[in-house]
Amino acid sequence: MSSGSVKPNKLLAWLDERTKLEPLIHFAQKKEVPLHNHSYWYYMGGIAMLFLAVQIVTGILLMVYYVPDLENAHASILKINSQIDFGWFFRSLHSWGANLMILVLFFHLFSTYFMKAYRKPRELTWLTGIVLLALVLGFGFTGYLLPWDDVSFFATKIGLDISSKVPLIGTALAQLLRGGDTIGQATLSRFFVIHVAALPLLLMALLGVHLLLVQNHGMSEPTGFKALPASEKKYEKFFPDFFYNDVLVWILAFNVLALLVAWFPWGIGPEADPFAAAPIGIKPEWYFLSMFQFLKFVPSMIGPLEGEFVGVLLIAGVGLILALVPFWDKGDDEGRSKLATAFGIAVLAAMIVLTVLGAFS
Amino acid sequence: MNYPIWIVPFLGGGWVIGIIAIIHVFLSHFAVGGGMFLAVTEHLAFKRKDEAIYEYLRKHSLFFMIITTVAGAVTGVAIWWAISLVSPDGTATLIQNFTLGWAVEYLFFAGELATAFAYYYTWDKLPKETHLLLAKIYAVMSICTLVVINGILTFMLTPGGWLKSHYWLVGFFNETYLPSLIIRLLIMCAIAGMYALVTSSQVKNVETRTYLVKFCAKWLLPIFILGPIVGFWYLKNVPQAAIETIFTGISSSGIGNFSILARALYLSMILSGTVVVFAYVGPYLNPKGMTTRIALLFMVCGLAVTGTTEYMRELLRKPFVVYGYMYTNGIRKESIPELDNKGFLASCKWAPLGLTASSTDVDRGRAIFRYQCLGCHTEGGYRSMSRLLGERDKDAIEGFLTTIHNTDKEKNPYSGIMPPVAGNDQELKDLAAYLDTINHEKRIASKAHLGAAAPASEAAAKAHI
Repeated sequence: MSSGSVKPNKLLAWLDERTKLEPLIHFAQKKEVPLHNHSYWYYMGGIAMLFLAVQIVTGILLMVYYVPDLENAHASILKINSQIDFGWFFRSLHSWGANLMILVLFFHLFSTYFMKAYRKPRELTWLTGIVLLALVLGFGFTGYLLPWDDVSFFATKIGLDISSKVPLIGTALAQLLRGGDTIGQATLSRFFVIHVAALPLLLMALLGVHLLLVQNHGMSEPTGFKALPASEKKYEKFFPDFFYNDVLVWILAFNVLALLVAWFPWGIGPEADPFAAAPIGIKPEWYFLSMFQFLKFVPSMIGPLEGEFVGVLLIAGVGLILALVPFWDKGDDEGRSKLATAFGIAVLAAMIVLTVLGAFS
Repeated sequence: MNYPIWIVPFLGGGWVIGIIAIIHVFLSHFAVGGGMFLAVTEHLAFKRKDEAIYEYLRKHSLFFMIITTVAGAVTGVAIWWAISLVSPDGTATLIQNFTLGWAVEYLFFAGELATAFAYYYTWDKLPKETHLLLAKIYAVMSICTLVVINGILTFMLTPGGWLKSHYWLVGFFNETYLPSLIIRLLIMCAIAGMYALVTSSQVKNVETRTYLVKFCAKWLLPIFILGPIVGFWYLKNVPQAAIETIFTGISSSGIGNFSILARALYLSMILSGTVVVFAYVGPYLNPKGMTTRIALLFMVCGLAVTGTTEYMRELLRKPFVVYGYMYTNGIRKESIPELDNKGFLASCKWAPLGLTASSTDVDRGRAIFRYQCLGCHTEGGYRSMSRLLGERDKDAIEGFLTTIHNTDKEKNPYSGIMPPVAGNDQELKDLAAYLDTINHEKRIASKAHLGAAAPASEAAAKAHI
């Protein structure tokens, strides 16, 4: 039976003398996690962290063999897939891991949203989370081009065309990312640097802040749980009880990743040919599909304005409302609280419906 | 080839067997492992005079009894139905050799069913010692069914000396009999332990729950550690050619240089490794924190290990249904030269039915496809011929068929994973004519698209420059 505490032993004592980690362990033991029907959503952040660790390790391994050069990019991925021992395995871990990480982050975002965990004093935790999600989507967008196959080439082309419609900065942003008027070596080099250097640095710094805030504020309690009398509220210790279950959930999540990697290893299409016709039905990755599909529904002109411009403006507006939710739903107004929930449901439903429509169109 | 064919569109007959077999394997393994778990746990309750454990076993045994006696028996019969329809030649070979073996297994199975009912319906009606005896009899009966069926299952991969003697006991006690028996016993105990973890995590009394969850961890940990060791012993006894198939399967460079078998092996290793860590960190170190949700997810992982390992074992036998004797399409290895000389359709009892003098080459090709390929492939579903043929035209298909017609390993790189196509030269042409019809329209449409795209890409090139 678990005693709920760590037994002192010589190794720990030796380590503690040199690292002074005891206050940290003490803090973790003192920290408590609320136990209620929705407690399982607390594991999402941890799962995303596991997948991030997978991304870092496999990304470093892939960098050993990947060559960010128009002549060699595609060939180097082919070599990783077919000649390097376990190359296919680590590349598939990287690609499937990225997709799972984004999926889990969406779960994390919406569970936090619907549990109203963004409210005071966690506004900054929420905002850093939103920016982290944007950075991860940036990883997805830049990493997608690196294999330099036909689908990734044309999907990136479409993506950059759309980003050029972003109000004010769009054209300059697209030009900066592309490194010119067309997608070529400059684009590949820039995407590579952004993917392996710029975004990781930003992510690490921001993740540090996010985790620090999470630790300082502790786990948020849903409204229903808060309203319970103290005698009915149940908690478990973060360490070791929650931590042990966290490890179990990581193992399960890793097994899901391993299953996908083994049964559906990540392939690669034919090398990109900028002069060839775009493959039929070219689509971006699933996490951009709802936006892509939405823009397809927007008429080409809305009044004097270009349809895509208005569409991008609307998407940006929804993102902004979502990001700023802690400042308009502070928990002191029931009407606003219900409005925030309805808005969240509408955004989630629209994302699911548009993604499904996009996948089958 | 000596029986009528059963056409299962999209899914393919193999998957009909596969789906039923997967369910049956889980249930039957659960029945045997669960029997051992009940006997050991009831023995523990008897020794400790622990009413809480008795109470737990009473509830645990209801679902166990229903699942094993009803679902286990139904899927067992369903397997017979499926294999006799999908692979009648293979089934006939097994029945002809192991009639006595199956009769013995059936006796044990009947005993197992009777004891299972007696066990459940005599809770609190028999003295505790007698009830414990029933649990032990059930465990022994169920193990005996495994002892018999294991010989028949392992025979299919390693018939060994039977290939020469054709004496059933030689085939029964083959090279993989013992390692397979042990590995199956371990898997059975693992499934039972993982299910017990789910039921014990639901016990309301915290002290009893903690004790039972930790007991399950102690039950599972040695099994998970021993599993890979016995697995290695098993693989050492599998024919070398089958092992080679693991690492040299045919696959395109785009999807990795390892065959599906190798990937299944790695997956099995990863999952086996992680379940050890899981059992240690979860129910062993933190039995109080084990929730039913996590226990259920853990069971899913454990069943995935079992499923993957079983899938791998099935793939190892490819392209045979009885290794070195009969191919998956029911053609005996030794019959191939005769079929090549006489012609497949002329030698096949059922395939020519429906064919007349006015039948076209496509009709004859379709008949050959149904009897030789449909066991593993479908036209547009699982292992789809449409996808595999891709852009190949009739000449390319004929060239490919000529390659896989060859029985020489050096000239036919597919020989380890596909039966050679049997038939004379004209029949290869007929088969090619039929296969050509599968993607014919798609190829024409694709050519039309490329033709239309050419001017557009020229314009794009100019714009790019």
